[in-house]
Amino acid sequence: MVRVAVVGGGLFRPDRVRYEVAEEGVAEAYRMLLEDTPELDPRDIEFVQCSYFSDHLNQQLCMSWIIQDYIGQHRKGGYRVEAGGSTPLDAIINAYFLIRSGEFDLVLVAGWEWMSEVDTATTNEFIASASDTDWDFTVGGYYNGYYAALELRHMQLYGETVEDLGMLAVRNRNNAVHNPYSQWRAEHGTSYVTLDDYFNDRIVAWPYRRWNCALISEGAAVLLLASERVARKYSDSPMWIRGIGLGTDSMRPGDRLANWAYKGVFPDCEAIYPSFIEKPLTPYPEMANFGFAREAARQAYVKAGISNPVRELDIAELFAPYDGVEICLYEDLMWCPRGEGKRMVREGIVMRGGELPCQLSGGLTAFAHPVGATSLLQTLFLYWELTEQIPKKFGDPKLQVSGAEKALITGHGGTGCQGGVIIFSR
Amino acid sequence: MDGRRVRERIVEDRVSEVLREWEEYARRGNLRVRGYQIVRGPAGNTRVGEEEEDEFLIVYRPHGVLYHHSLGRVSKFFKGLIEGKLYGTKCPICGTVYCPPRAHCWNPDCRAQPTEWVELPKKGRVHTFSIMLFSADAFLDQLPFILGYVQIDGAHTALPIQILAPPTHVWIGQEVKIKFREERRGELMDIYAVPIPGQKPPEWSCLHRDPRALKDLERDLEKVYKFLEERFGIKKDDVVKRWEEALRE
Repeated sequence: MVRVAVVGGGLFRPDRVRYEVAEEGVAEAYRMLLEDTPELDPRDIEFVQCSYFSDHLNQQLCMSWIIQDYIGQHRKGGYRVEAGGSTPLDAIINAYFLIRSGEFDLVLVAGWEWMSEVDTATTNEFIASASDTDWDFTVGGYYNGYYAALELRHMQLYGETVEDLGMLAVRNRNNAVHNPYSQWRAEHGTSYVTLDDYFNDRIVAWPYRRWNCALISEGAAVLLLASERVARKYSDSPMWIRGIGLGTDSMRPGDRLANWAYKGVFPDCEAIYPSFIEKPLTPYPEMANFGFAREAARQAYVKAGISNPVRELDIAELFAPYDGVEICLYEDLMWCPRGEGKRMVREGIVMRGGELPCQLSGGLTAFAHPVGATSLLQTLFLYWELTEQIPKKFGDPKLQVSGAEKALITGHGGTGCQGGVIIFSR
Repeated sequence: MDGRRVRERIVEDRVSEVLREWEEYARRGNLRVRGYQIVRGPAGNTRVGEEEEDEFLIVYRPHGVLYHHSLGRVSKFFKGLIEGKLYGTKCPICGTVYCPPRAHCWNPDCRAQPTEWVELPKKGRVHTFSIMLFSADAFLDQLPFILGYVQIDGAHTALPIQILAPPTHVWIGQEVKIKFREERRGELMDIYAVPIPGQKPPEWSCLHRDPRALKDLERDLEKVYKFLEERFGIKKDDVVKRWEEALRE
């Protein structure tokens, strides 16, 4: 089967409010791609894979039709995928499938989200309608609360502390100040923050403070994906997709206590369970871990030939709308055994300069989280990393991991209801 | 009457007042512009701090709808709430008890087997929770509240439910009673959980063994009380009384 690469991309700088509308934002991101890729004739693009999450937020169905014609890419094929927070990752993976099947050689992935046309509480409500509205939503639930409850379970079982969450919040901000496209830098400038600052930040859903939570953003990004037949026409240094994996879990997190689809599939994870708490019928992932990620990582590592992820990967961008998610993902991505995620933080492995730095971009809590564009922004960041373009693109070399060869990205939607993993390499 | 609903027979109707209210709302018109602002704001695709400025027209237009939504074959659970009963479903093959109920078993071995109704006791244990100091609009006046996932005794899954207790008097494994509100309309807010009296947090409770967490929570809870007083005129004493009453009952 044909190999697939990312050969370029562009972004429209995300911020809390952008006054340009989505099609204008996508057009700006597309213009950045065209400026960086002079060899690209827009007519070469064969298919447009669109990515946006919410129909509610902008009072507009079928927005991808507006986007595709606005940038003059209509006539050829195109459609949207949608799966909450997983949307942009699924869009990349779908574009990969389209090319890998041999059907297309050049696909544009376009993603965006405009999230501030309603007030903050309503934005949260609209997003929360991606949870089960008959059950989880009705008791005052929204994602801050769901994820806080998930993290609390993990924290109780495996002993990370609020300070561990704080170290991740501080790391994300102190990375984001070096990213001139980050929302944190737009709102707070370029000074570093400390753990004391974190503890002064307000709790919104214990154990989470505001700084632990994803941003509300408006922004866009595009990626150009190409087959190996044409990749080198557009880029001297394509970023190859070495492996992908997909996974799902139950819609309602409370159902994961009797999670028959997972029973017996990951017996080593089921066995690591503290004795002081009663085990649910199915102890993995239950409400403490992300089974979709374990399933997806298993597939992706096999395809990419990765046996020791921490040693073999050089950089990762995780989908962590809340900082505790990251601690769980270290375990579910098999970087460490279940329950030892906190060690990755405390030993500095995932920090800037560590063995496997994560969220150098600032991630969802300090770079941005315009849902339909988020994984595209993170992938573009990884592309700039693996092609050593960070100093040029950011005007600051601080975030460049010198000589980075292999990268991982993961994305997911809901409370880990659906997601995937992609492994990239130079 | 909607075409879709021609073949139904209404057994009980508690909605006419709401329909009148929403008819009036709907006449205001979805997507019709109600007003506008002209603003000057940052424009252009640049790095932070390099923006130009432009003038933008911002229009304000409403969107509101009233859905009629069947709760399907698990309607019996929600009818049970109105009647003051708690139901789950049980798979006759594998024996899994679901609360929230499922009309079909999801165990791959059971091949989508239809389940059977079982009445469950009004007590359970806290599986996990979050202490909410901010919420969506509809719940702001109920802050601070505990969003809980409670495993009802005899069930194998966890039910989302609010726990009515002082915000730091909750922990994983805590035993709770399920209580029913006076006014009920067939939703999970008809019920709430209260801790069974006389329990102390175990020494391993991650909240209670962290003095700083308790102190920071107290600090930020005071901000919530201040917000409640300013926005809704609700006094801290009334909030505290709510928990005391719940625990006493």
